[in-house]
Amino acid sequence: MKKKVDFSHLSSSPSPESAIITVAAGIGYALLALGPSLALFVTVISKKPFLILTVLSSTLLWLVSLIVLSGFWRPFLPLNSAASWPFAVLIITSVAFQEGLRLLFWKVYKRLEDMLDAFADRVLKPRLYPTDKMLIALAGGLGHGAAHAVFFCLSVLTPAFGPATFFTDQCPKLPFFLVSSIIALAFATIHTFSMVIAFNGYSDGNKVDQLFVPVVHLVAGMVNYFCLSS
Amino acid sequence: MESSILESIGVEIIGVMSPVSICMLLVVLIVYSLSPAADLAPPIRSAANLVYLEVPTDSTTQKLEGALLNALVFVIIIAVVTFLLLLLYYYNCTGFLKNYMRFSTFFVLGSMGGSIFLSIIQHFSIPVDSITCFVLLFNFTIVGVLSVFSSGIPIFLRQAYMVALGIFVAAWFTKLPEWTTWALLVALAVYDLVAVLAPGGPLKLLVELSQSRDEELPALIYEARPTVSADPRNQVRSMELLFGTALQSGSVEMQPISGDHIGTREGGEHNVHPELIEAQSMNSSNSEDHLQDRDEVERSPLVGGGLGRRQSSGSSGSEYSVVVGSREPPEIVVVADEERSPLVDSRRHGNANERAVRRMDDDDDDDSDSVLASSGIKLGLGDFIFYSVLVGRAAMYDLMTVYACYLAIISGLGCTLILLSVCRQALPALPISIALGVVFYFLTRLLMEPFVVGTATNLLMF
Repeated sequence: MKKKVDFSHLSSSPSPESAIITVAAGIGYALLALGPSLALFVTVISKKPFLILTVLSSTLLWLVSLIVLSGFWRPFLPLNSAASWPFAVLIITSVAFQEGLRLLFWKVYKRLEDMLDAFADRVLKPRLYPTDKMLIALAGGLGHGAAHAVFFCLSVLTPAFGPATFFTDQCPKLPFFLVSSIIALAFATIHTFSMVIAFNGYSDGNKVDQLFVPVVHLVAGMVNYFCLSS
Repeated sequence: MESSILESIGVEIIGVMSPVSICMLLVVLIVYSLSPAADLAPPIRSAANLVYLEVPTDSTTQKLEGALLNALVFVIIIAVVTFLLLLLYYYNCTGFLKNYMRFSTFFVLGSMGGSIFLSIIQHFSIPVDSITCFVLLFNFTIVGVLSVFSSGIPIFLRQAYMVALGIFVAAWFTKLPEWTTWALLVALAVYDLVAVLAPGGPLKLLVELSQSRDEELPALIYEARPTVSADPRNQVRSMELLFGTALQSGSVEMQPISGDHIGTREGGEHNVHPELIEAQSMNSSNSEDHLQDRDEVERSPLVGGGLGRRQSSGSSGSEYSVVVGSREPPEIVVVADEERSPLVDSRRHGNANERAVRRMDDDDDDDSDSVLASSGIKLGLGDFIFYSVLVGRAAMYDLMTVYACYLAIISGLGCTLILLSVCRQALPALPISIALGVVFYFLTRLLMEPFVVGTATNLLMF
């Protein structure tokens, strides 16, 4: 039994190119959201098994954070889409929680770094290079970004594999899935690289870097909200 | 510039996780492409369904009781057959066991694989005639049988056939009704835990028997052997050193040395670079012993295998209700059998004497092929099957649950592998992963989905 996604608030109309909107379109939207992440994964991350493990564990962490958030918000759902300010609160709490989690991730990463350095001393290999540290941060961010893209974009993409499409209210010429994929792409980029910036900021004690990341995240989320409420 | 440690850590874990991921991915694809047909089919009666046939119109308590009863009966059947297997192995009927394994591989690949191929051909309207199909299927099956237990077949082919076996069996299991599937998964996880860790458990006895005889388990096991070993330096048992270092916290422990290894040194078998050995000998002898013992993992079976004593429905189409099952229960159940075996991490198999001799002979023989041939983590086929069943069942609901369950299972597998490198004995691979998978499935379905779908359809992302 599949769940039914409620698209009724969008306007749907038969599209002139409905004949070619099929599996190809669906794959196209998916690649739009995940393409750069996939390219990064294949070229940089898949070469080193430890980075693959880092991606998996950071994805898991993001998933857990999302579950906690939804557990917190569950009694208030479904939100009435007429009044739009609850959405603002939703976004602010979610962003705050995720940034807090980034700090936690940083602490765990410090412990891991110590373990890895001790291990390197044991096997008489050089300690972690700065590039290695940034690679680990990149892998962590990529995990977050990929998880975001999958949960927010790919999970509602299933109807796109069929013969028709939905259009958005504000821009009646753009398919809903296209907008969703582009936003997911943007957020994947934000997540991926903000981890690198944040880790650099924490390790150097650079306040500007440390503040830059949560601010960017919050602004991105709020811009989305303003688009919705206008 | 020397290569950093980041190049080599975690290779073994990825070597096990990749086939599991591939198996799960293909089962999800099969479920997605073939599921509409399955819904319309009448339910088949099999060993997993013996007691209670679930019908969507039953009440919740009825379904729950029926599912639990089904699961109980299934676990009892599996336990009985495992003991039978143990008895046969104890009396050294290994020839019979191997032939039986070959026959069951033939049967699974031929009938279940065949039916899945047929459904795919039907669904996608692939134009192929029946004679070609039969010939191709026959060839496929025979090569599979050959690759399972013979030597001289490339390891990659054997691994591919193991994954294929896992896919076919898992795709069959996903045809079971929903409540029965979940009850079955939980019951099997508990059974795996008991059978591998409890003192009288059949799997524990089986593993100990095979280790005392220094033979391989007569079972269908996936070996994550390193397929190409270019650089001996990278073969150090890095996971153990990493976690051993972390746990050690400065003090030195003396590990008990097993009888096989008394008086043996690090030596070539370990594929450790010679410089490393000398450097280690400069440390205090205690820590050196410690490292050596940590590296001498011979028998840490991470045994997670569990093959299901499976359902007896050998027939392919769902049109036949399986009278076969009720007619000859023991044989058919045993026929479609694959063995449950723990996840074995045996670095070195082979005769203890041979090994000691080889070790003392030349320290430089890092790359002896027979040694490399037997190192690596082993994961039993049943684990592949039940992980894929869980993910396949999650796929019948939604993509989000698939992703969540996939992550849960992979992280459970990772935890089990880490525990393996710390505990160094046979460990069941099912319980942690299945527990996490079930928890994440229900959490995602109940909590996360309304939240995420609500925000995503409003284009509100964060």
